[in-house]
Amino acid sequence: MVLDITSAGVRWKKRRDGEPKVTGKLKYLTDMVFPQMLYGAILRSEHPHAKIESIDTKEAEDLTGVTAIITYKDVPGLNGFGIVIQDQPVFCVDKVRYVGDAIAAVAAETKEIAQKAISLIKVTYSPLQTVTDPELALDKSAVKLHKGGNLLHKAAFKKGEAKLEEVFNRCAIIVEESYHTPRQMHVYMETEGGVAVPDEDGGLTIYAPTQHGFKDQLQLSRILDIIPEKIRIISSPIGGSFGGKDELNIQPYISILALKTKRPVKIHQSRRVSIKAGLKRHPMKIFMKTGSDESGNLIAHQVKIIADTGAYATLGPAVLDFAVEHSAGPYRIENVEVEGYSVYTNNGVAGEFRGFGGNQITFALETQMERIAEKSGINPTELRLKNLRQTMDLGPVEQQIVPTDGAKAVLTEIIKSPILQKNTATIPSGQWKIKGRGYSITMHGGGLGYGRPDPSGARLSLNSAGKLEVSFGFEECGQGLIPTIDMIMTETFNCDSSDVAIVIGDTAKVPHSGSSTASRGTNMVWLGIAKLKAAFIEKMLNAAEKQTNMTKEKLSLGKSGIWFCEQPEKPQRLILTYRELATSLEELPTVFTSYHFPTTPHAIDGGHFLYTFAGVAAEVEVDLLTGRVAVTKMDHVISAGPVVNPMGYLGQIEGGANMGLGFTLMEDAVMENGRYMTENLDTYLIPTILDIPKETNVFAIEGLVNGDTYGPRGVGEIGTVAVAPAIVSAIHDATGLWLNRLPVQADAILKAIEQKALIG
Amino acid sequence: MDTNKITEKTTSFKINGKLIELTLPPTFRLVDILRDCLALTGTKIACEVGRCGACSVIMNGKLVNSCLIMAYQIEDAEIFSIESLAEDRLHPIQEAFLQAGALQCGYCTPGMVMALKSLLDEKEQPTKEEVLTALSGNLCRCTGYEGILRAVDLLTQKN
Repeated sequence: MVLDITSAGVRWKKRRDGEPKVTGKLKYLTDMVFPQMLYGAILRSEHPHAKIESIDTKEAEDLTGVTAIITYKDVPGLNGFGIVIQDQPVFCVDKVRYVGDAIAAVAAETKEIAQKAISLIKVTYSPLQTVTDPELALDKSAVKLHKGGNLLHKAAFKKGEAKLEEVFNRCAIIVEESYHTPRQMHVYMETEGGVAVPDEDGGLTIYAPTQHGFKDQLQLSRILDIIPEKIRIISSPIGGSFGGKDELNIQPYISILALKTKRPVKIHQSRRVSIKAGLKRHPMKIFMKTGSDESGNLIAHQVKIIADTGAYATLGPAVLDFAVEHSAGPYRIENVEVEGYSVYTNNGVAGEFRGFGGNQITFALETQMERIAEKSGINPTELRLKNLRQTMDLGPVEQQIVPTDGAKAVLTEIIKSPILQKNTATIPSGQWKIKGRGYSITMHGGGLGYGRPDPSGARLSLNSAGKLEVSFGFEECGQGLIPTIDMIMTETFNCDSSDVAIVIGDTAKVPHSGSSTASRGTNMVWLGIAKLKAAFIEKMLNAAEKQTNMTKEKLSLGKSGIWFCEQPEKPQRLILTYRELATSLEELPTVFTSYHFPTTPHAIDGGHFLYTFAGVAAEVEVDLLTGRVAVTKMDHVISAGPVVNPMGYLGQIEGGANMGLGFTLMEDAVMENGRYMTENLDTYLIPTILDIPKETNVFAIEGLVNGDTYGPRGVGEIGTVAVAPAIVSAIHDATGLWLNRLPVQADAILKAIEQKALIG
Repeated sequence: MDTNKITEKTTSFKINGKLIELTLPPTFRLVDILRDCLALTGTKIACEVGRCGACSVIMNGKLVNSCLIMAYQIEDAEIFSIESLAEDRLHPIQEAFLQAGALQCGYCTPGMVMALKSLLDEKEQPTKEEVLTALSGNLCRCTGYEGILRAVDLLTQKN
């Protein structure tokens, strides 16, 4: 169905967390202030790679209003963090590896004094040779950034004949290209920040955005050397994240400063600091060689991925695994050989970001498909159909997956997009403008994948205020977790939003549910509530039976309370409100469950089990005089199971699409010799309202294969993954030029225009 | 504190209809006055160079980035921040944002609402081009702006 206000009908519901957002009343964690609060600031490296000769904090210490200055000497426990590998120092000891590396931090009475104190800390460096090219970094002669060398992670996949070269020799068509993708920045509007509040018995409460509260708790317990239970993480609401706040950022610094000063400490990073220190999307160089026989059957596919992971690991290995896994995407190719390398450099740290390696590999793969079609003279859709996975096929790394016809469904539907109809006349909108159209498809794994603990938990209870209280360890970063929980609750228990209380984002109150990442939240919420439903109703009705002396067979949960119904499914009257029930009980009904994200039984690291699919059609307008590209229309077809929350689903696809548009046409945090060439949003440009398509439509395919009981999949990432190749294909349609490097450069287009003499 | 001690000056201005008098350094930014001195944290801070619009407020009838306005510029000014919009009930723009799904994380929303208010105060039925221009100084990373345009359509009855 076309997803919009009209088609959603009564299920188009205002977000229950929306009102405090539109009125400005919502206190984000970076808006919080506490009595006696100090302000912190972090001194970050002046060099991308250098030896630290000395750190002199004397002058800063003497500044009036400075309460504490900390360096590596003040880290009580492990001087390192990282979700999987703790290779990033909280404070550098003798060496800096990127311009965001932290050397010292200050707490002071005001923000201004903290900044001043930072400027008074004297660090002497001996600059070292920088390693900025990941390919050169792999060379034996390269300077080693970490003890184990510069290779963070290697991932590979191989199937088919041992000697791929021999298969290529048999191919009628071979396309061999290298693709380059940019260092995209998340640009969450709320930069990193928060407050650490110490308590009387040596513990702390941290108010700071993260996508996995319990993971922050664990990481901080190592750093602070105190037990996790003494650290309470309040992680929601969040002013945008997109993966970027999954890793620790300011939390170690405010924590140590708060423990040291015994006062609350706040840091809210400026955009400049956020750009220097924060994560980015991995720039990847992808070599792809794909071969087919004369009729367009793909028989050989060779891929080499070099990912620039920057100075530290964070989730670099997993991002690479994801790209390797999706190297052949939804296509079944007999002989495949993929090698991926995630490489340390002195560039900014790259890590988790919406799409998680899928965006880069899909750009390369789908452009390959179009090139093969062009070279062989076969219609691109026919080529795709010929090689497309079928319902029962194994997954892309030959692992068992949930049977799905999503690939065929999105392909069949996207080619019906009005954008792609050949009878659409090419009417240039101006004398010097030409239009082009293109499309692409993709498949995208959800959850963390095989071999990675991916547990979840949910709790449901009647609370003392008479609300149906549901609790998950997830965070609301804008994606619509709260309205999604609200919709699943009200539809499961036939109750009203006002009957529901939602508890999330506070480790003192929530069960372990895993991270709010990897498009897993919606699926885990749905599964958790589904698992608890029967047991909760049972407990509630048992309690109601005692109160009302009515047989529970004639009772049901509904709006405001327990309803009496003579016939099943036909509630007649409210006989007991939830509040009355709650006040009458000594022990309130509570149920809890823990479960795991559905995982493939095949032992393939990171291999997924549940996939979503997307098709994107784009229409572009190329300005022949400037080489500038505008995307004028985009259509999206998504196959991700039932739509839980239409407003949220639509918003995720629209927002993801325009983030993908930025990735394709404008965004790149360019680095020169390990330094960012962009310092703020005046030079790092993201799409504004003027840059988006004039028309966007989203079509949701809700059907799943018979017997698929895994429910709604998350759509947080899928909307952004296949945008780039659709736009690039449309540019090719207009200009005849294939672009291998993102973001699209106007001068490359101008050159093609000149060569083709499209003007004149 | 004795760092950078500069002459402070008493500045009086009206914020959301209320007369305020504060003694401030002349270069103290309006966004800090709102957020830190007056606890009006609905006005957000995100780039501090006037590019993102998260700190948009209406000053003397014009939309401004409050990160670029300094204390010396607000003497006798009349300033409205997001907190002024909803009184007994939500402002129609706020209502339309909720109805249209014009927000996700919500961090850009106060600035976006103020920018739209500034436009609609000036012109009840703006053209699409005027809407796009008026909102082009406000960045939103979540919605892709489609929901915001739906809200504008609801407000201008074009849906």
